[in-house]
Amino acid sequence: MTVHSTDTNVNEDVLSAMLDRLIPAVDGLPPAGQMGVAPDVIRLAGHQKRFWGLFSGAMESFVLQNPSFVALDDDEQDEAIRSFEADSPVHFGVLLDIGYIVYYKEPAVHERIGWDGRPPQPDGNVMTPWDESVLENIRKRAPFWRAV
Amino acid sequence: MANNTGNEKASRGVVDILVVGAGASGAAVAAWLSEAGFSIVCLEQGYWQDPSKYASASPDYEFEMITNWSIDPNVRQRDEDYPINVSESPVTPVMFNGVGGSTILWSAHTPRFHPSDFRVKTLDGVADDWPLTYDELEEYYDLNDEVMGCSGIAGDPANPPRSPRQMPPLPIGSDGMKLVNAFEKLGWHWWPSDSYINTQRYGEGRDACNFCGHNHMGCYQRAKSSTDLTYWPRALRNSVELKTGARVRRITTDPSGRATGADYVDSKGGEQHQAARAVIMAANGIGTPRLLLNSATGSHPDGLANSSGLIGKNLMFHPFAMVTGVFAEKMNTWRGPLSNFAMSQEFYETDKSRGFVRGYTYQFQRSLGPAWVARGGFTDPVPWGKGHHAELEKRLGSMMGIAVIGEDLPERHNTVDLDPELTDSDGIPAPRIRYRVSKNSRDQLDHAIENARKVFETAGAIDIFVDPMMRQSGWHLMGTARMGDDPARSVVDRWGQSHDVDNLFIVDGSVFVTSAAVNPTPTIQALALRTADYIVANRSDLKA
Repeated sequence: MTVHSTDTNVNEDVLSAMLDRLIPAVDGLPPAGQMGVAPDVIRLAGHQKRFWGLFSGAMESFVLQNPSFVALDDDEQDEAIRSFEADSPVHFGVLLDIGYIVYYKEPAVHERIGWDGRPPQPDGNVMTPWDESVLENIRKRAPFWRAV
Repeated sequence: MANNTGNEKASRGVVDILVVGAGASGAAVAAWLSEAGFSIVCLEQGYWQDPSKYASASPDYEFEMITNWSIDPNVRQRDEDYPINVSESPVTPVMFNGVGGSTILWSAHTPRFHPSDFRVKTLDGVADDWPLTYDELEEYYDLNDEVMGCSGIAGDPANPPRSPRQMPPLPIGSDGMKLVNAFEKLGWHWWPSDSYINTQRYGEGRDACNFCGHNHMGCYQRAKSSTDLTYWPRALRNSVELKTGARVRRITTDPSGRATGADYVDSKGGEQHQAARAVIMAANGIGTPRLLLNSATGSHPDGLANSSGLIGKNLMFHPFAMVTGVFAEKMNTWRGPLSNFAMSQEFYETDKSRGFVRGYTYQFQRSLGPAWVARGGFTDPVPWGKGHHAELEKRLGSMMGIAVIGEDLPERHNTVDLDPELTDSDGIPAPRIRYRVSKNSRDQLDHAIENARKVFETAGAIDIFVDPMMRQSGWHLMGTARMGDDPARSVVDRWGQSHDVDNLFIVDGSVFVTSAAVNPTPTIQALALRTADYIVANRSDLKA
């Protein structure tokens, strides 16, 4: 897939700090930013021109509104994110989407939530055989379609 | 306006039939006419897809699903897509442009219309009757099932008897039985869905489904039927020429107003013309009216074949609602096709005590993987921050859904026309959608939502989410060039032939008189096969 230019200056420190608040630490796993997913977020966001435009625009807007975000304490950071979410829901949604998508690609996360981590293909899953006994009750119902 | 006689760079001689669009209906009509020896060219603005490169095998598949493989062309924005102005519609049309059309990304849930769906005026006093009956279409449903390959089982009490299905149904599974048991406790109908998904090897080089769950992203396994895998191999063996990357600009006409072919832009940006003795439109319920409106001439000042003024009018979508239940048990609900294992038509037919006419189908749904669940899937997103992990764990593998497909009745103010400013990358005016959800549809959806809540409560769900109307859900594009016997009140006749232009046919969902309350593709394809049979039997004048 074409990778579009990611020359726009996305502030990786801010992105990491934001990801830490979006997806916090759990069960010995660090929060998302400290897991080091920010570079992959930026890489993946560049895989579609439209998405990259939304993502880089969202980051630019967030940094403009919160120039000292990294220096804020946790509660202040949460408040800044909530304010951005309320004022710019589309931009915030893009950041949340890509943050979740990249976080849930991490093998350590898969292990924790019991997810096998494979893409759906090529292995797929096992299809159980058709069991006709499930129709036992519904087969007793008389036809009720409307004749014309 | 001058007559559109086509430019001088004719790329091939005159063929018998030009088909515009290589999707569900274009493939079917081209294949069937080719069996009878017609010379055929099909122009398709998109390209062939290689199933081994579908995004479901990529580690970035969750990202691809919302970008390059989105079902929404305004999001996907591939070169072969055209933009659609949806600023005046609460529903966004979704489709795919390529060989196979939207069957590449569809769910392949394939119920049929009911006999009553063809007689809504007579039975319920609304909209119009179709100029044909279920019985007239049944043999074509059967034929299409055979070509596409249908898994399912005959005997559904909500539908007329039908021929044996080609394959056994997709299994219901322990997750599906949660819903099935609840429907049975409530005394409500359910039945295993007819699906064009292989449950065993069927067709040319097509395996059984391996339950990956992501059939909406193209089927890597070739188990889901799409017309690039079914009708097209047959058509190509019969020497149909399929030109990809060929974007039709307009249908051309001679001074008498008859169709002469089409002007199109080839994959290198060159302006071309394909001449033909007849033209068959198969560009879907938005693409077809768009092109016909863009083919206005002196003899067709309001658009080609539009003396009725109905091209682009009466757009029907099937506005969808979705109700999702979360269960305490982990059921691995990401395994198996997302939307195909069963349905209920308990509330399909009119019961005026409900406060609305016509009815709806429930289509049972599964779920997908962790990022999809976190992003919300069919529900609200999992909250960020504190509580995120607990909520994600609660939902993952434990969510089942019920989609509501209500019959959307035709209304003249729901339209497709040409946007005065927006164009595609070749400068062709883009379609503009103006659509409002009717009170009848809203009442249907609300009724269905309340009953779906009862299902989940009966099934023991610990949480229930409701999306009262999904925005990105305009899969079913219907009604914008309706069929009928009266030329003043319809665009095409009962065979799909234009009342105005005797060598112009339409075979996509545009011709629907009403929408029924089911996924429309088997009906679209059955109608396309029926039109092909009509041409073979009655229009030998179109063959050189």
